Amino acid sequence: MKATLPTAAAAALAGLLALPAAAQFPSTQPTLLPPDQAFRLSARALDASTVEVRFDVADGYYLYRDRLAFRVAPVAAGRVDLPPGKLKHDAFFGDVETYRGAVVLRVPLVGAAKPGEKLTLHADSQGCADVGVCYPPNPQQLQVSVPATGTRPGDFVEAAKPRGWFN
Amino acid sequence: MKRRTILAGGLVAAATAFAGGVAFFHSGDRARRDGAALLGTVLPDLDGHDQALAQWHGKVLVVNFWATWCAPCREEMPQFVAAQAARGAKSVQFVGIAVDQADKVREFAKQIGLNYPALIGGFGAIELSKSLGNDLGALPFTVVIDRQGRVAERHLGPLVQPGLDRMLDRLLKQA
Repeated sequence: MKATLPTAAAAALAGLLALPAAAQFPSTQPTLLPPDQAFRLSARALDASTVEVRFDVADGYYLYRDRLAFRVAPVAAGRVDLPPGKLKHDAFFGDVETYRGAVVLRVPLVGAAKPGEKLTLHADSQGCADVGVCYPPNPQQLQVSVPATGTRPGDFVEAAKPRGWFN
Repeated sequence: MKRRTILAGGLVAAATAFAGGVAFFHSGDRARRDGAALLGTVLPDLDGHDQALAQWHGKVLVVNFWATWCAPCREEMPQFVAAQAARGAKSVQFVGIAVDQADKVREFAKQIGLNYPALIGGFGAIELSKSLGNDLGALPFTVVIDRQGRVAERHLGPLVQPGLDRMLDRLLKQA
């Protein structure tokens, strides 16, 4: 009885991922989101010394905490204080932490940026989907503007661009 | 060199698909062409020696794209080890192409007693898998080549038993 559930789950997974050989090409993919949509990145400059970064992780997907890396140009980024993630035991890497849902981080700038200055944020991330696939490390970048002195930070800027037929 | 060949093949395929239209599109052609492209791939093994996939042409060849940073990949591999051990290397050959660094692969291979070749593809292997139909470049992705050198299966996500055994039995029955 106990073995029924994993078997059923495995069968469901196989059904979801495996397509009949004849139907596999050129539309071979199961319904998985492209990484930029599974892990939507956005950011804004809070002030001249902080960039706020946000990942909206789609349901059924997760990011690895220790695979996140950020760079800012032309003003360098300092160490990012990453919130603790959900602990997940990994047989090879030991305990790893994962993020799901909305993840908001603050990237401190080393040396203040100028009001109105455009900053480029480079974010590296890597995550997986619960159905049993992982995406390769995903480098993304976006531009944020430092708000003028005394003004409120602007809206979040999205990194992912709508995808056309050939990208 | 290799990648250029594959890219050129892909462009020709795309052009053919558009020019010929769906009615003239035979999946058999693609199975043959993709099988030839994969069998024409040469990658270094864990000792740094180049290995041509063509050396396994004539067997049912299971080519598994994986990485140590991909937990579902690591979880499915002991199954491949068991299947390789159970069937011997006479008619079935598993080959892993790692989107990874050799030292990480070596460590994991030791941990699970890997009994089939682990080739190091690096991130270039993601592009190779994309050319074989893995549009998102996600892992694990497995391509099975039949004894005639045609792609018989393309599978994103873990292969599960008894499906794996059933597929191997079916392909082994073919001439």
